[in-house]
This record gives sequence, C-alpha cells and structure tokens, in this order.
Amino acid sequence: MQAAGTAKDMKKLLGGESTPWLIVLAGFSFLPLVLGPYWLNSAILGLFYVMMASSWNLLAGFTGQVSFAHAAFAGIGCYTSGILSAKLGLHPLLGLPLGVALAALLSLCLGALCIKMGGIYLSLTTLAFSEIVHIVIQNEYQITRGTMGLKVPFIVGPYSKVTAFYIMLVAAAGIVWLVRWIINADMGLRFRAVLNDETAAQSLGVPVMRVRLTAFVISGAMAGLAGSLYGHYLTLITPHIPSLDMMFHVLAMAVIGGLGTLAGPIVGAFLLEVLSEFVRQFSDKYHVLVFACVALVFARFAPQGLVGLAVDWWKKAMSGGRSA
Amino acid sequence: MKKYWKPLAVLAVLATALSGMAGTAMAEETIKMGVVGPRTGGAAATGTAFEEGIALALDKINGAGGLLGKKMEVVFEDTAGDPAKAAGGIEKLITKDKVVMVLGESHSSAALAEIDVANRNKVPLIIAEAWHDDITKKNYPYVFRAGPCNSGVVNDSIMGFVKQYGFKRVAIFAENTDWGMGIKDLAEKGLKAAKVEFTTIETERKSQDHYAELNKVKKFKPDLILAFVYGFGVHYLIAQAGEVGIVPSQALLLEGAGPPSLWPEFWKTVGNYGNLELFVSRMHEKVLLTPVAKEFDAAYRKKFSKAPTDYKSRSIYDVILIAADAVKRAGSTDSDKLVKSLENTELVVSSGKVTFGKEKGSYAYHQWQPPMLIIQWQDKQQVVVYPMDAKTGDLKK
Amino acid sequence: MEDLLLYLTNGVFMGATYALVALGVTLIVGIMGVVNFAHGELYVLAGYFSALFAQAMGLDPLSSMLVAVVLVFFFGLVIERTLIRPTYGEEMYSLIITFILYIILQNAYLVIFGPYPNKPPNWVSGASNLFGLFYYGNQRLASFAAAAAVITVFMVVMHKTWLGRVIRSVAMDREMASILGVNTERVNMLSFGLGCVLAACAGVILTPVFPVTPTVGVGISLTAFVVMILGGLGSFTGCIVGGLLLGIVENLGVGYVSSGYKHVFGFVILILVLFFRPTGLFGQKQL
Repeated sequence: MQAAGTAKDMKKLLGGESTPWLIVLAGFSFLPLVLGPYWLNSAILGLFYVMMASSWNLLAGFTGQVSFAHAAFAGIGCYTSGILSAKLGLHPLLGLPLGVALAALLSLCLGALCIKMGGIYLSLTTLAFSEIVHIVIQNEYQITRGTMGLKVPFIVGPYSKVTAFYIMLVAAAGIVWLVRWIINADMGLRFRAVLNDETAAQSLGVPVMRVRLTAFVISGAMAGLAGSLYGHYLTLITPHIPSLDMMFHVLAMAVIGGLGTLAGPIVGAFLLEVLSEFVRQFSDKYHVLVFACVALVFARFAPQGLVGLAVDWWKKAMSGGRSA
Repeated sequence: MKKYWKPLAVLAVLATALSGMAGTAMAEETIKMGVVGPRTGGAAATGTAFEEGIALALDKINGAGGLLGKKMEVVFEDTAGDPAKAAGGIEKLITKDKVVMVLGESHSSAALAEIDVANRNKVPLIIAEAWHDDITKKNYPYVFRAGPCNSGVVNDSIMGFVKQYGFKRVAIFAENTDWGMGIKDLAEKGLKAAKVEFTTIETERKSQDHYAELNKVKKFKPDLILAFVYGFGVHYLIAQAGEVGIVPSQALLLEGAGPPSLWPEFWKTVGNYGNLELFVSRMHEKVLLTPVAKEFDAAYRKKFSKAPTDYKSRSIYDVILIAADAVKRAGSTDSDKLVKSLENTELVVSSGKVTFGKEKGSYAYHQWQPPMLIIQWQDKQQVVVYPMDAKTGDLKK
Repeated sequence: MEDLLLYLTNGVFMGATYALVALGVTLIVGIMGVVNFAHGELYVLAGYFSALFAQAMGLDPLSSMLVAVVLVFFFGLVIERTLIRPTYGEEMYSLIITFILYIILQNAYLVIFGPYPNKPPNWVSGASNLFGLFYYGNQRLASFAAAAAVITVFMVVMHKTWLGRVIRSVAMDREMASILGVNTERVNMLSFGLGCVLAACAGVILTPVFPVTPTVGVGISLTAFVVMILGGLGSFTGCIVGGLLLGIVENLGVGYVSSGYKHVFGFVILILVLFFRPTGLFGQKQL
C-alpha cells in the first residue's frame, strides 16, 4: 500500500506532467549565456522571489493561513548565516543550514503559539513577530550593523553572478519541486481538506493542528533558505529583508500569479520583477504604487490570479470548441 | 469576443512589460555621470536639493561646451537611504547605464554599501554628503569624498565650538543608527578629552514622543544639548524640549546634521522653540568664500527664483564640478586615469579649494573636508557663530 | 517620584490616543470580522486634510477637523462598498485586500503630499506646570481632553442609544438580528464608516502633537492591533483599558529599561497575552 503510493507519486513526479516544468528549467539554465550582468541580476532576484512566494503560497494558498512572518523568517535565515560567516568566519555553506534550522525552529515555536487560534489571531501574531524581528535587528547594531547593513561573504568562491544564478536556480527548483511533491502527496490532500472544511477534515481523522503546523514549519524553513541565499548573493544584508515591504512584495506576487496554484507564484515573481524594471524607467517613485494597484485589481476582481485565469480560459475554450 | 478579453489583457500587460526590457540600448553620444541619493523615503528632500544642484551644474558645464567635445548627462538613481537599494542602484548605473563616475549620496549606510560595488567594478565614486569615517577609512582606491566626515565635523567644528564658548555640561541625544551612534562616540571621546561633563541618551529613530527621554536630559541640567537625530525627528525633539522647558531657557541645542533645521517644515513644527537653535551647515548667504559660491548663489536665484536653503544642492554642484574637472584633465573616461587625475585635483569650488588626501592609513585618504559653519537661528535670521573668522554675529543664550 | 508621575501622565496621554485608534479597529472587527490594515492610513488622511484645510483654505481648526472627519467617513463608505463587501465571511481575503490597500495609500500619500510631515496650527500654545513638578505641553492636554471626550461619546452611543443596540446586536448574532429585521448589510457599511470616523478623529486630534507623514500609518495600525488583542477582540472596554495599559508600560519601559526598544514592549505584551490568556483581558469570544 505504502509502496504503491510512493510509486504513484514517483510516476506523477516523473511522468508527462513534469515535462513542461523540465523544459522551463532547461530554458532557465541557458539564461546566463543570453543576459548581461544587469538582467542576470534581475533574474536572480526573480528566483529569490520565486522561492519566497512559492513557500508562502504553500501556507496561504494551500492551507489558508495568511502569515505575515514570512519575510521575518527570511531575515532570520540570512542574519543567522550572515553573522556566523561574517563574525565567526564560518563558511556560508555551513552557515546556510544553520540559518534554515533556526528559521524552522522559530517557526515551530511561533506556530505552536498561534496555530491553534488560527485566522485573524495567526495573522496578527505573525505580524507582531515580524515587527519584533525587524526592530531587534535594527536596534542591535553592534551585532547586526543595524540599518547600515551587514557585509557578508559571497556564497562560494569569488563573486560571480553566474555562480549565484545557478545556485539560486537549483534552490528555487528544489523548493518548487518540494512544494509540488507535498501537494501531490497524502499531505497535500490533507492540506486541502483543512483548507476546504476544517471540521469535516477533523471528523475524517485528519489531525488539523499537526497538518497546519507542519505546513507552517516547512514554509518557514524554506523562507530561511531563500533569505540566506539572497543575503550571500547581495553580500549585504539589511533590515529591509525582514520588513513589511518585503512581505508585501511576496504577497503581491503570489496573489497576482494565483494563490493555491503551483505555477502562480513563479509567474507572479517574474512578472513583477520585469514590471518593476519597466516602471523604473519612468520613475522610481511609482513602482511600489503600481505593484500595489495591480495586486489590488487582481485580489478584488480575479482572486484566482493569472494562472487561474489562464486555466479557466483554457477550460472554457476547450469546452466551447467541443460544443461548437 | 467577450471570452477572450481576459487573456488579451494579460498578453497586453506582458507585452508592455517586455517592451520595457528592449529599448535599453542607446548610442553613446554623451558623457554619463551617475548620481546616487535619496529621492524617496524620509530624506527625500535631499533628492530635491540634489536635483537643483545637478541642473545648475549641467547648465554651467554644458553651457561652457561640455566635456571632451561631448555633452555631459546625469543619471540620478534613487537609493531611498536603504543600503540594499543603494547597492542595486549603483550596480545599475555602472552595468546598465555605463556611467563613467558615480557621485553623491547623503546616507552613510547607503554610501557604505555603494563603495564596495564601485570598488569591485573599478568605477570612481565621489561621496558628497555621507559623513561616516569608514567610507574613506577603508582606503578603497576608487572611493573619494569631497564633503564632511564625522571626525572632521566633531573634532574641528563641534568641539571647537564647545571649547570656544566654554560649555560646562553637555547632554548628547543620539538616534540609534550608525550615523547617530558613530558621531555620538566621537563626541563622547572629544568631551572626555576636553574634561566637559556629559551624559548620553539614546533614542529610537522612528519615535515621535520624547517626553520620557527628555525628562532624563532635564534632570542632568545641561547648558548644551548635542542632538544627533536626523530628519524630521529632530523637529519633534526640539518642539518637545521646548514644551518641557529645556530649550532655549535652560540649554541651547546644537543639531549635528544641518539641513533639517533649514527645511520649510522646521518652523511649522518647532514654533518659537526653534529660536536660538544651532546647527551645522556648509552654507550661509553672507559667507560666500569663493567666486564659485557667488556664481552658484546668483545662478540659483535666477533659475529657481528663491534663495538657496538646503546646502546639499551646493554640495552636489561642487562634486559635479570636481568630476568634470577630473575628466577634462584626464582627457579620457578611463577609470584609472580618472582616479589619477582626481588625486591631483586642485580646484576651487563653492566651499573652498579641493585637494584630496593621498596618504593611506586613515580616514583622511581621498578625503577633502570642507570648512563647516555653526549657525544660530536668531529671530529667524541665520547668524554664523563659529568658526570665529567667519562670524556674522554673537552667540545668544 | 517626580519621574514616575511624569511617566504615568505621559502614559495615560499616549494610552488614550491608542485607545481611540483601537476602538475603530475593534468596531470593524467586532461587527464584520474584518481586520482593517489600512486603519492607520485613514488616520493619516484625516491628519493631512485637517492640516491642508487649516493652512490652504484658512478654515479655523474646528471646522477643518470636522470637514476632514466627514470626508474620511465618505471615503470609508466607498472603500467598504467597492473593496470590503465582496469579502464578507472570508477574513483572510479581506486581510489581504486591506493589506494591499495600506501599501497603495501609503505610497499614494508619498506621491501626493510628499515625504514631509504636516500639521495644523496648535489649538493652544505653551505648557502648564503639572502637580508643581514638571511642565507638560498644553496642546497635549487639549488633545487628551478631546480624545477622552470622543471616547466617552462613542461609549454612550454604543451602550445607550438605539443605533448602538442595533450595531451590538449584529455583532452578537448576525443571523438573529437579520431575522428580527435588521438590515445587516447597511449596519456593516455604517460600522465600517464609523470605524473610519474614529480613525479620523484620532488623526485630527493628534496631528497637532505628532505631525503626520505618509509612513506613520502602519505604526498606528500595529499599535491598534496590539491594544485590541490585549483588551480582547471585540470588547470596547478592553480597548480602553488595553490602550492605557500599553501607554503606561511603554513610558515606564522607556524610563526605566531602554528607550531603543519602545515599540517592542507592545509586541512582547501581545505575545504574552496570547500565550497566557488568548481571549485578552475582556474578551469572551474568539473570532
């Protein structure tokens, strides 16, 4: 039974459905040959946002918990590994797992505190947590260098955007793959059961709290990983990473791309990254404003996001074609 | 048709976005200089001052035939006072806009992020108004500063002022940022050496309410408060220090950063409590030390039909003149030639004659400290009270 | 002793302002189950309006404040009608929408009003000597009186009038109220508008003391959330007690612990409350 399930999972993973993903991945891996340093930088930022938005989507899109602590967990990841490598001389590749571990540990504590109450309580508690992290990092300038930012070493070897790109690509692909595996596996079914009808899920024997907590911790750890990699790419980490501004960007990307879909956050992340470069050409002043307006229009009129719209349209076109 | 509108709209958005990616390449007919500075965020007023200074400098340089037979162009990138944004912004100026030099900045935290990028890409960077010692102390070969640094401001101006007028008890009120903490440490060191009694109060930068902290200041009974709080925060501080009866009756207040005391919002917030307030500045309308200063003053009044208030417009103006002069003497836009030519700068700009320190090992390397004035508001008139050779009136207590 | 009294006085003043802001958030949460992230932005809008009307149009302080509050009320109704109404019953959806709205408004203010702080002229000037021990700004005292008055009026309306009873009946049992013939949709709209009015009142009362800038709104919203949870979701009395408590703790904290961590005290209290008494001080129900 167990084996059969795994085999099915493997098939799902490697079968026909995976092909488009592999094609996209292959396409991406050629980008450094085409892009100059400037656009390569944008692509790397895009990959960071893919990680952030996909992992936040696991929580918000698949289990319905709107957490505002996601950027804070990225901050915890990058400051842990950043401080260890900058102050104690630990290699970033060793600091990285420690950053992820601390992010996971703290998300376990925070999750244990507020998952039970859920809903608004969860959102407001994660918000308070996120502000505490932001203020502490800003104030403890002797350790974190405060608003001036902490200089940290590059991920591995001498500074190179191409190296950073491939590392980020592998990490992003890994996270997307993991999210995909989770939502296709048994756990994913449970997630959706929890999202759709908590009481019904409970009566069917799904341990709602444990499922939620698992999602919360996995997502927090992913944010930690994304944050640490991002920090070691920028080689300068600032309290801007664990901030509500960053949180907004992640949320907007997931919402515009499509909450609760696998491809949504990826589409959203890259679309907004390109859009931001475009808006920048006119004026920097407006770029967040434009983002927010686009996000509001989607949230209000097309909550299923771009990917949801595309799917709806595809279905309609198919059925329309048949009936005609 | 109706069912297609959604995907069509999406395609339209994508297409416009992609068209933004194209159209970036442009033929190089001008000499491009990059300017970095805050155009948004809490210190966006500095961005406006920079814009004014850039416009005047461009008028002057291009009016005189440009550089190496080409027009000079300035690309102004917003850094919002945020180090991460600053690092991305200067990276963009260098890799995408291909500027020959980068100038400006007024936030130490942003500048400290920029120097690494400039140095890594081997593009000269001249800082105008970021005061942190480390900016030049790191001795990066491509980094210059033609503006004040904390050590210079504290040791030369503030401590000189304290000693000159014989203040006995000083309260330091500093925001908990790198600038605030850095300049606080220097001031503490200086006061200790001068055997002046002092106390230090740290405050949160974003806080709007200072009553509890001011209570501590009041109990110390200072005769001078050194306020190292930047931006609008210092306005709140002065207004509340007035309300609780500290300024100006008990103690004078010296604001360590300058421009916030000149912003139009200053009087609106502080009211009468702003009278007799002191601040550090690089500019005063009666103290025009060089012909370039007079020229700037006249050009400013002509172009904007008002008197220049925020001295940072003149700081960026000076830095652009320095950069243009270096390009002219180097006769090329090659980075290493520009660094050589900058090191040999001997140019008179509005705040004095610029020469950069050449000896490695301290913050004085690649640094030029302009003379700073300490100015007191007396019945809404600016009176220079220090240094003594530039005095336009007496200190009132 | 003198110190303690000053910290307490200032704590009560700040606390009253926190309570006023939190009442608006609580009203909207209690009636509609919507956490309005953009609450602080409405406060800021009212602050800017009152400053602009007083300066540019030369209105006297009182009428400029009234106009500002009325305009924000209508703005609130528009927000409710266009953005909030479709989200009823889905609290996460409404949270996302108001979070985005907060970002939009904050950035729009930055474009419209510039990054500069703005304030109307003070109603009164100078400072008074309190208890013969320390000076306290007269404008602060006046603002405190105004905040206390608005809170009192609000509590009387909620507990003694027909309107208050209708609103509270919807908060307690929406279906029952609807069966008894209450137009719950209209009550929702009105409550949202009233919540915005409370934010606006706080804005116009406090702007003379703390000038508004485009970015102060988020801090105000966060404080309001802390006070609301501290007092207990949906409890008005809880809001007032929670607000005063937070104001006093913050001031004692700055006075005796550390001034750099002023804003952390509130968030720490919040997490402690959730850990030991998730319903807050006065809350009966969890939303």
